[in-house]
Amino acid sequence: MAPSMEDQFSDGADSDEISRNFICCVCLDLLYKPIVLACGHISCFWCVHLSMDGAHESHCPICRNPYSHFPSICQRLHFMLLKMYPVAYKRREKQTLEREEETRRFSPRFDAYGGGSHTDKKLKIEADPADSSITVFEFKLCPDSSSNRVKKHFADLMQRQPVSLPQDFVIPISKQTSGGNPQGATLAEEENDVLKNNLDQTCEQLSIADVQCTACKQLLFRPVVLNCGHVYCETCFTIPVDERFRCEVCQVLHPSGFPKVCLELDHFLEEQFPEEYALRREAVQLKAVHLHDAPSTCSKNSGIQGFKWSSVPKEDYCTWLKDNGPKIHPCAGCDSCGMYPIVGDRYRCKDCKEKMGFDLCGDCYNTNSKLPGRFNQQHTPEHKFELVNWKLKQEMLRLMVEQLGDGSAAPYLSGISLEQPGDPIAALVSIDDAEETAENDVNGLAASDATPEL
Amino acid sequence: MTTVNNGYQDNNNNPAVAATKQPLPPAKSVDTQSVLKRLQSELMALMMSGDGGISAFPEEDNIFCWKGTINGSKDTVFEGTEYKLSLSFPTDYPFKPPKVKFETGCFHPNVDVYGNICLDILQDKWSSAYDVRTILLSIQSLLGEPNISSPLNTQAAALWSNQEEYRKMVMKLYKAV
Repeated sequence: MAPSMEDQFSDGADSDEISRNFICCVCLDLLYKPIVLACGHISCFWCVHLSMDGAHESHCPICRNPYSHFPSICQRLHFMLLKMYPVAYKRREKQTLEREEETRRFSPRFDAYGGGSHTDKKLKIEADPADSSITVFEFKLCPDSSSNRVKKHFADLMQRQPVSLPQDFVIPISKQTSGGNPQGATLAEEENDVLKNNLDQTCEQLSIADVQCTACKQLLFRPVVLNCGHVYCETCFTIPVDERFRCEVCQVLHPSGFPKVCLELDHFLEEQFPEEYALRREAVQLKAVHLHDAPSTCSKNSGIQGFKWSSVPKEDYCTWLKDNGPKIHPCAGCDSCGMYPIVGDRYRCKDCKEKMGFDLCGDCYNTNSKLPGRFNQQHTPEHKFELVNWKLKQEMLRLMVEQLGDGSAAPYLSGISLEQPGDPIAALVSIDDAEETAENDVNGLAASDATPEL
Repeated sequence: MTTVNNGYQDNNNNPAVAATKQPLPPAKSVDTQSVLKRLQSELMALMMSGDGGISAFPEEDNIFCWKGTINGSKDTVFEGTEYKLSLSFPTDYPFKPPKVKFETGCFHPNVDVYGNICLDILQDKWSSAYDVRTILLSIQSLLGEPNISSPLNTQAAALWSNQEEYRKMVMKLYKAV
């Protein structure tokens, strides 16, 4: 077994050379499937999604800029990082995939930029029979990624890892493979070859073509990323008359005003391509007559406030719990525009079997959105939808109990839980459905101004 | 996309069965491996950074529980003191804040007798980009700039206006520990 194996797979061994610009502020590792928020800050797909607030407006982890739509992955950045850090990026892919297989929630997959979907290989995963919500789950593998066999093998290895101390945490792949599993060595070598090949292929430099603007096809200058994940130069993006920003490529509405420059990417490009960047700057300054002052990036008030979608109330549980509040579907997001949580009507696909499900908000349902799901759901236009019966109280109570599932229930829940130990959800729901006492409890809660911590 | 197992299909018909059949998962499941990884990265960064006045290290056999120390800043009534804190990380860290408590008694308007701290970033203003370092620095600056309007320790809040007396009180209680 080559000694380099352990280095390649052990944590962070490959992260020394990663530019600080591309370290995710949430997982503190190389960005994987990066998402750029409207404020210009970048984070990984899952880091953004898990940081979002399922019941309220979400805030950027770094600058607290509020947003209500889960943005799509920036594919331009995704392929750029894959090219720059092939080993580290593959390691991140493997880690993420293992986690996804555990949780059975999957992030989207890309084969090549612009993404035609190849379906050479399909992997069927038998779902946990204990869970009735899913029977068989199918997802696509990129043709260029390593074989299923290897993936499964590594998934097995990872599961056997002792999870305790930092010093134990370095993954001793070589020891394990030489141990119990006779096939381990060959499989691991195969994997090693895959990585080596990738490394060889990508010794080529990052080229301008990898970082060009979607509109002008030149080097990105002060890049902005829309909610759909497409990147433009700030100056290539014109402000429409009705102020409804729409991506020129995919025609998807950008929900939250003019996006701010992604400074991390901008700084990187300036360093990486100093001459080209200077030329672009000059060119842009020449036609500066047409431009408004470039908005500074990190302040909330600068930039142009564009068309706003119906936004989610901030901390106002009181209106929620009355019947006249907005129709909020906690922890349910629209798979087309990304609104999370969905406000207003919610349509759920009856045919998608994935654990994540497939939902649309009223607007996207009515415009017959054909976009693929945000979590690699195998949704097709033939699938049927149903309008979700909106029962907020029930949803809210369920949510509270689930979020407090570790037993550290808030004091106002403890009374209810004690009456029927073992089954707090059923207790809450039945009380909520049947009796008026629950109604009083809920109103009392609202009136007492005790904001439940969700 | 639905983040929680709200299972509205089963539960509408028979909530009791559905709820008992599926053990309650954490609302957003994150595996412990990624939490471990993040905590290790933080530990590394914290040890490399060499910030004066704060330090933290995991307990012997549990990386989810850390012990931290904070030194009172210069030119505040807490100058020359050192406080021990405990940080306990949830399994969905950093998407949920750690529980942070003073282990050493601290006479402060926003710290109660049990060591609980009232600080917004440890509650509703938590962000997944915060880490141990920023938490400890925030608590360190909270020492010198308490929020008098919502005190946990009303006696301390009342005394805060008289810095000389306050300093005496801090030292008296500090030595008593």
